[in-house]
Amino acid sequence: MRLSSLLTSTARWGRAGFALGALALLSGCDYNFWRMDGHQSTITVAGPVARSQLEVFYVTCWVTLVIFILVGGVLAYATLKFRAKTEAEEKAIPPEQGHGNPLIELGLIGASVLALVIIAIPTLKGIWYTYDVPEDRKADTYEITATGYQWWFKFEYPSEQIAGSGALTTGNELVIPAGRPVRINIRTVDVIHSFWVPKLAGKVDMMPNRANFLWLQADEPGYFWGQCAEYCGDSHAVMRFRVIALAPKDFADWVAQQTSPARNVTPKPGETAKAQFASLRTFKQNETGITDKYDVAPLEAWKAKQFPEKGENAALIAQGKALFVSKTCASCHEVRGHGAAGISGPNLTHIGARSTIAAGLIENNSEQLQRWIRDPGSVKPGNKMAKAYIDNNIKLTNEDEVALVAYLQSLK
Amino acid sequence: MEAILKSDLHAKDTHAPAKSAIFWRPTAQTGLISWLTTVDHKKIGFLYGVFALFFFLVGGVEALLIRLQLMYPNGTVLTAQQYNTMFTMHGTTMIFLAIMPLSAAFFNFIMPLQIGARDVAFPRLNAFSLWTFVAGAIVINLGWFMHDGAPDGGWVGYAPLTSKTFAPDHSIDMWVMGLQLLGVASIAASLNFIVTIINLRAPGMTMMRLPVFTWMTLITAFLIVLSFPFITIALVELMMDRLFGTSFFEVSNGGMPILWQHLFWVFGHPEVYILILPAMGIVSEILPTFSRKPLFGYPIVVFSGASIGFLGFSVWSHHMFTTGMGTMATAAFSLATMAIAVPTGVKIFNWIGTLWDGRLSMRTPMMFALGFVWMFMIGGFSGVMHSAAPADAQQQDSYFVIAHFHYVLIGGSLFALLAGIHYWFPLMFGRKVSEFWGKLSFWVIFAGFNITFFPMHFLGLNGMPRRTFTYDANLGWNAANYIATIGALILGVGIFIYFAVMVYTFLKGEKVGKDVWDARTLEWSLPNPPPEYNYRVIPTVHARDAYWYNKQHKEEIAREEAEGAKAEAAHGGIHMPHQSIYPFVASLGLFIASIGIAVIDHDPSPGFWGNKIVVSMIGGVVMLAGIYFWALEGNEGYHLHLDDEGNASADKKAAKH
Repeated sequence: MRLSSLLTSTARWGRAGFALGALALLSGCDYNFWRMDGHQSTITVAGPVARSQLEVFYVTCWVTLVIFILVGGVLAYATLKFRAKTEAEEKAIPPEQGHGNPLIELGLIGASVLALVIIAIPTLKGIWYTYDVPEDRKADTYEITATGYQWWFKFEYPSEQIAGSGALTTGNELVIPAGRPVRINIRTVDVIHSFWVPKLAGKVDMMPNRANFLWLQADEPGYFWGQCAEYCGDSHAVMRFRVIALAPKDFADWVAQQTSPARNVTPKPGETAKAQFASLRTFKQNETGITDKYDVAPLEAWKAKQFPEKGENAALIAQGKALFVSKTCASCHEVRGHGAAGISGPNLTHIGARSTIAAGLIENNSEQLQRWIRDPGSVKPGNKMAKAYIDNNIKLTNEDEVALVAYLQSLK
Repeated sequence: MEAILKSDLHAKDTHAPAKSAIFWRPTAQTGLISWLTTVDHKKIGFLYGVFALFFFLVGGVEALLIRLQLMYPNGTVLTAQQYNTMFTMHGTTMIFLAIMPLSAAFFNFIMPLQIGARDVAFPRLNAFSLWTFVAGAIVINLGWFMHDGAPDGGWVGYAPLTSKTFAPDHSIDMWVMGLQLLGVASIAASLNFIVTIINLRAPGMTMMRLPVFTWMTLITAFLIVLSFPFITIALVELMMDRLFGTSFFEVSNGGMPILWQHLFWVFGHPEVYILILPAMGIVSEILPTFSRKPLFGYPIVVFSGASIGFLGFSVWSHHMFTTGMGTMATAAFSLATMAIAVPTGVKIFNWIGTLWDGRLSMRTPMMFALGFVWMFMIGGFSGVMHSAAPADAQQQDSYFVIAHFHYVLIGGSLFALLAGIHYWFPLMFGRKVSEFWGKLSFWVIFAGFNITFFPMHFLGLNGMPRRTFTYDANLGWNAANYIATIGALILGVGIFIYFAVMVYTFLKGEKVGKDVWDARTLEWSLPNPPPEYNYRVIPTVHARDAYWYNKQHKEEIAREEAEGAKAEAAHGGIHMPHQSIYPFVASLGLFIASIGIAVIDHDPSPGFWGNKIVVSMIGGVVMLAGIYFWALEGNEGYHLHLDDEGNASADKKAAKH
């Protein structure tokens, strides 16, 4: 980074300084940071692996807390008790020049070792338990492969084979059956990433040339937040994903829907692409793409996305479908059944049925999708799609964007 | 043989040392030349300190920018790339350019004084270490002023993100070459300290009488010598991959990125102890002085320091618990990591034992030292939490880790170094920092530090990953991030007060006499600031707390000193080394060569200055010339004769040694 470009942001510091002055105005802000019950909490866990890890953490926490109170208490007592209160006391005859007491030392060393044994036993149990699915659950285990890309996740379902197309492939939203162990193969195509869904399991790194795996299980159906946990370049911070755990029947329905080819919407003869081509508002740098409404009931929001929207404009969708090929989107993205078979970007066969886009970063609605299509580099700095626009000299009009959005939203 | 040595010693050379125009021996005592050519361990230590504090402030500004970016969700202070550069440079700067050289400043200034020596064993090598460190620091930071930008691969530089494929510009090359230079500087300096401590101890200064700070210097120096080769190898391999297309870490040709992590952390974990052991040494000097009693359990403190250094080489993979090592390796590193908590805990017990039954004088250095014990204890406990691998799977690369290592590195290392500055300031400069302002800066720093980093434990447990330039408002991280930023600003104010007071004291502070703290170790027997030759008469050591003993046995010591003075006068006076420019020249050559390797583009149509090879070779030639002249100019020195008041007589006789 150049120093000069840093200086251009000095104006923004001014704003930050002003914001600092507004500290008092923040009384409405949520200060309960110690509650730790956020979407990515490691404390309010939802599966046996994360629970086992949490239990080990609690053991370490209690043991160290007890030691802290004991040692800290003695330290505080010694500091207060033996403090010279006046300058005369400081200069008084020095105390006895004792050099130590080996018995006390040995006793304390023994006590420390004992405390560590208390931690070591659950640690060892936890290492083996969290490593792989327990033997008695292996038969019931569902297998998925997760692959990291700069900066998104690909998910493959080896047990859901599609004739002529291989394993079912999705991106950025991992749908799993609830109540069953899920064994996830952890892979990467480029740099090191890390697969982390805090409520379900601790992270495992996606290492090049290494066949890593982890297992997790969601006790109940639910919607979970995940994020890449290993620095992987410019957009590491916005490489996120979601996990949707479904009851067995819902999961089977979802698989059936996903294994079918992309949905076709045929315009009636004479239908034209009437759309309100309102211009897209401008977005701030790093502006959030998640609305509060979605956040309250994300699983319901996700379920609602599984069905076609009312008032679809078939002609506009057809226009978008043509643009998807002519604007070279199809050379990176696959839409199975629509002649698009690119593999370097996420599979978009059922993109309309996902609740988020751009690697779990922004909500999948018309406005955010158009924001993404218009300027992917501003949403996810350094990404390949922004580079492809430049390399292939792709220019989209507002109308093109709206048509593409309508098409992608129709892919349920 | 002996005859030759003796004749050399009493050679009748004049003071003017120049044999010829080539072997120019500078004699300037003031001005730029005197600083560039100095071989005095105190001046070199001072320069280390000045450079370290400068880079500490640079790293601090980087930290504040990071915190301002994260103050609110979806922050816009920095772009993604700027943010990634900031945390990369913040980590690299604070570890290699601030804490390590600040420790080196104390090693240089204090250690020779503590063992009763007149300088380090190899004064010119010491100057070379300093200037090579400066060269490395400049190379790492050059990117700020160039189109390619400063490094942004994280301070751990994990392959393959640092490969030519994913980082095509020169910023990573500068990081690689800068770190290589710092490695050269650190290893050279450490060998120097090891030889000094083993060989130049005053009579009677047995190993088990060494001050604990000197012991920790020795252990740290061994750690540096043993651990830096690993990162040197890793960096050479990375450089080969980037410049010549080898495949050490290149995945498409079967390279193994995990190899980088092993090499990096085999260096990186001992590095953690390289940062903390000097701090423990400083605290082990300050607590006895201000408790007015000896260190509790000296042999166990020394032994636990050595065990920490030893065990430090067997725990590196606890930085890699999430890389899929398998159950057995994870369990082994988990248990080894827990084991290291024992010697660390022992130190804390002994510090408390030192306070017990003492008469604690709550001066500023003591405040920082006690702050160290508290903060290091908290950092140690979160470290124990990480050692439990299953728990670490959640904490790894989250803000919990950020909280942990800042408690160890700021609350630990930095607090102790700040304590050390306060403690030895009267000895170094003959002035004492105001108690009021010193304590004020302590409390502001202490408060700011805890407000910044304590909430980060909660952030990490609430799932915030590190190295992220932005976060959304719906994850429950807003309040903790906001508080942390406020804390960082308070910490910044505290650091500002601290250094403003230091600069003021340096210029106008209260002048004090010698041994202002009624201290226990030899360096306090010197007038302040110490003269260039340190000890008028090499002292004889009778006890562990040597100066404390001397103060109890004044007559015996006075008699010894008189005899010693006579013996030294018969020997030809105090032998001093000549200044030399060649260490600086050799470092300059290394600097030019690394610019050639890291910055200059490979030019297929060779233009003279545009060619990588030419610049690198010029640097190599300058370096070799520096080393060659350095060897040829000889290690002669001159003798000082002191009158009864301790004034050096003008009659400086040159001597060969």
